[in-house]
Amino acid sequence: MEFTLLFLAVAIVILAAWRGSHPLAFGLYAAVMIACAAAYLHHATDTLKLSF
Amino acid sequence: MALVLAAAFAAQFVLHELPCPLCLLQRILFATLAIGPILNIRFGPRPSHYALSLLAAVAGAIASTRQVLLHIMPADGGYGSALLGYHYYTWALIGFIAAIVLLAAILLFDRQFEDDGAALPPTGALVAQIAVWLVIGLTLLNVISTLLECGFGACADNPPVYELLKRSS
Repeated sequence: MEFTLLFLAVAIVILAAWRGSHPLAFGLYAAVMIACAAAYLHHATDTLKLSF
Repeated sequence: MALVLAAAFAAQFVLHELPCPLCLLQRILFATLAIGPILNIRFGPRPSHYALSLLAAVAGAIASTRQVLLHIMPADGGYGSALLGYHYYTWALIGFIAAIVLLAAILLFDRQFEDDGAALPPTGALVAQIAVWLVIGLTLLNVISTLLECGFGACADNPPVYELLKRSS
């Protein structure tokens, strides 16, 4: 679900960059990047099953 | 960007391989890379627009490096099929690094930022409009496919089937 929302958010940012105002596009971009970092950290903190 | 997203989609449907969470994040960051060029078409070239694409490329390189490292052990077969000897996340890492180098090369040309007084068309040339709508369309198709794949919960680390199609069948 988190990735569905992220794809939707990116589509909205692209539309804002294409048709909307400059500050709106930058603000939405910042929000998407923070959400991407959160999604990455959520999945990157899983325990790695490595054996050496 | 549209070509990269279309190639990822083709691999998903032709090879019947579902993208993992990190693969999806890399697709998202490829789509985010397009925001800088779109702002350039709309408002003219500015260093801040390139900065947005550079940040997306660095984030994408981090995510794809993470996935490469997950499968770095010699006995590990990797996730999904390989294309020309490399898995898609390795190609993604190469793509993001190429984007960083390309963006840095474009930033070397200072004259693009000088105001020559020429009025920009509000949404660029026809080719630019087609490219932008392609990226928007492919991003929206990813919304649908990701919803089918992950359902309404958290996306599985190694998704075997489309979650919503499994429930309905």
